[in-house]
Amino acid sequence: MVGSPVLFIAIPLLAAFLIPLLGMIWKESVRIVPGLVLAYLLVLSVSLLQHVLAFGPIIEIIAGWKPPIGINLVFSPFSGFLVTLMLFLGLLVWAYSYRFKRNVEYEPALKYFLMLMMLITGSVGMTLTGDIFNMFVFIEITSISAYGLTSYYKERNSAEASFKYILLGSLASTFLLLAIMIIYSQLGTLNMADIATKMHLMKPGYKVASLIFFITALGIEAEIFPLNGWAPDAYAEAPGPVGAAFAGIVVKAAVYAVIRVIYTLFDLPGAYQFLIVIGIITMVIAETAAIRQEKLKRMLAYSSIGQMGLVLIAFGFGTKEGIYAALFIMFNHAIIKSLLFFSGSYLAYNSTEKNIADVSGMAKHLPLTSLLFALGAFAIIGLPPFAGFWSKLAVLTAAADSSLWLIIALVLAVSVVELVYYLRVVNRVYFFKKEEDMEPQKPTVNAMIVMLILGAIILLVGFYPDSVTGLLHKASSDLMDKSQYIQHVLSAR
Amino acid sequence: MNESLFSLLNYGVYGTAVILMLIGLYGALIKKSLLKIVIGLSVVDSGLNLLIVALGYYKGGTAPIFSPAYLAHPQLMVDPVPQALVLTAIVIGFGVTAVALALVIRLYRHHGTLNIDQIKNLKW
Repeated sequence: MVGSPVLFIAIPLLAAFLIPLLGMIWKESVRIVPGLVLAYLLVLSVSLLQHVLAFGPIIEIIAGWKPPIGINLVFSPFSGFLVTLMLFLGLLVWAYSYRFKRNVEYEPALKYFLMLMMLITGSVGMTLTGDIFNMFVFIEITSISAYGLTSYYKERNSAEASFKYILLGSLASTFLLLAIMIIYSQLGTLNMADIATKMHLMKPGYKVASLIFFITALGIEAEIFPLNGWAPDAYAEAPGPVGAAFAGIVVKAAVYAVIRVIYTLFDLPGAYQFLIVIGIITMVIAETAAIRQEKLKRMLAYSSIGQMGLVLIAFGFGTKEGIYAALFIMFNHAIIKSLLFFSGSYLAYNSTEKNIADVSGMAKHLPLTSLLFALGAFAIIGLPPFAGFWSKLAVLTAAADSSLWLIIALVLAVSVVELVYYLRVVNRVYFFKKEEDMEPQKPTVNAMIVMLILGAIILLVGFYPDSVTGLLHKASSDLMDKSQYIQHVLSAR
Repeated sequence: MNESLFSLLNYGVYGTAVILMLIGLYGALIKKSLLKIVIGLSVVDSGLNLLIVALGYYKGGTAPIFSPAYLAHPQLMVDPVPQALVLTAIVIGFGVTAVALALVIRLYRHHGTLNIDQIKNLKW
C-alpha cells in the first residue's frame, strides 16, 4: 500500500487554502504548487489503481467510524479509473494555463488556481465517497468553485452566465438534499452500500419520488436535457481551460453520481429505460442545437452535452458491454473535448465574440494548432483510425447485443450531424480567407506540449485501443457487481 | 401542551416548511429582480432545513447531548443526524447566497439594473 484514498481530498484542499499564504512569501508558488500537488496525486492514483486491480477495492474509513455509521471512501477499479482520468486532465489544465495566466495580475491568478484546485477536489471527492450526504457536500464544493470560475473574466458577460448557473445549481442542491432526506427518513442510513441492501424495504412511492429528485438534481450538473440551460453559456463565458475542466472533470463526476445512484442505490429496472430515453432526448436536441450555433465554444458545449446523452444511452443498456462503451466514451470525450477546447481557444484567441467565422483561414498562421483541432474534430465524430471510432463502435455493438436497432440508427444519424458541424469549422480553418482584423495568437510552449500530449493519446488509443480497453473492462465489471461493492464496504475494517 | 394541539403543531411544521419552499420557488422562478431571486433561493433553503429538522424530531424528545434530561430518558433522544446535516446545509446555503450576491453586484455594475428582463446579452 502506497497511500490512502483520503489523501486525494486532504492534500488538494489543504493546498488550495495554503496557496494564498504561500503566495505572500513567493508569488510564483501560487502557480507552481497546484501543479506539484496534482502531479503527486496523479502518481498516487495510478499506483493505487494498479494495487486495486490486483487486490480488490480499498475502503477507507474516516475517523474510525465503520460503515454504515461513518463516512467511507471507496477506491474501486471504477471510481479509481475516473479519479485517475480527472487528475490527469486536471494536471493538463494546470499545465495549459500555467503561462497562459502569467500575463495576468497576481491576484486573479491566485483566485484562478485556488478555485481550480477546489473544483478538482470536489469532483474527486464526489467520485470516491461512499456516503450520499458527503456526496452532496462535494457537489456543492464543485459547484461553488464552478460558479466562481465561470465568472472569472470581468469584461465578458460571465457574471450573467454564472448567475444562470447558480440559479439552477442551487435548486439542484435543494432537490438533492430533499432526495437524500427522503431516503434517510425511510431507511435511517446515509451509507450507499447500506442503502442498497435496505432499498427493498422502501415503499415504491418514496422510492420513485427520491429517484426523481436525484435525477433532477444530478441532471442539472450532468447536463441532461432539459436541465442543461446553464452549460452553453458557462462554457462560452468561462476561460478556455475551464471549459475543458468542466467537460473533462465536473461533468464526469456528475455522470458518475447519476450512475452510482441508479446502478447501486436503486433497484428499479425501469430506471434503465428512463436513462435511454433521456439520453436520446439529450443527444438529439443538443446535436441539432450545435448545428445552429455561431460561437465556437457554444458549439463545443452543445457537442459536449450530446456526448453525455450518448453516455447515458450506453449506461441505459444495463449490460456490461453498455457500461464498457459508456466508460470508453467518457474517457475519449474527456481527452478529445479538452483538446478541442484548448486548441479552439487559441484559434479564436483575439476574437471578442468567439464566432466560428473568426477562425477562418487560421491554418496558414497556426498550422499545428489547426491540425490538432482538426484531429480532435475527426476523433470526436468517430472517424477511424482515431480514438473516438472505437468508443462509438463499442456503443453500436453494445446496442446490437441488446437488439436495440433503433438506437443504432439514431446514433449513426447523429454522427452525420456531428460530421456536418465539425467539418464546417475545420473547413473554415483550412479553406477560407482570414478575417482582416483577426490577429493569430501563437500558443505558449506549455500549451503546445499539452495539446501534443492529448493528440498523441488520441492517436495511441486510435491505433492500439488495447492500451485502455483492459482497464475499462475491469472498471465496468466492477460497477456491474453490486453485491461485491456492498460486501466490500460493509465488511471494511 | 395537550395531545391534539401538539399533533396540529407537528403537521404545522411540515406545512410551514412546504409553504416556505413553495414561496421560495415562486420568488426564484417568477420574480424579475435579481435580489428577489436570491432571496427566494435562500427561502427555499430555509424551508428545506426546517423540514429536515422536523423529520428528526418527535414529541418530548431530549437534546442528543449528555445532559440530565438525556440521562433520565435516554430512549427519548431525538435523532442527531438531521441536525448535523442541517448545520452543514446552512453553511453551504450561506456560501451559495454570498456568491450569488457577489454576482448580483457585478451584474448591477455592468448593466446598471437589477431587472432580469434587461440583462439579456446571453440567450435565456
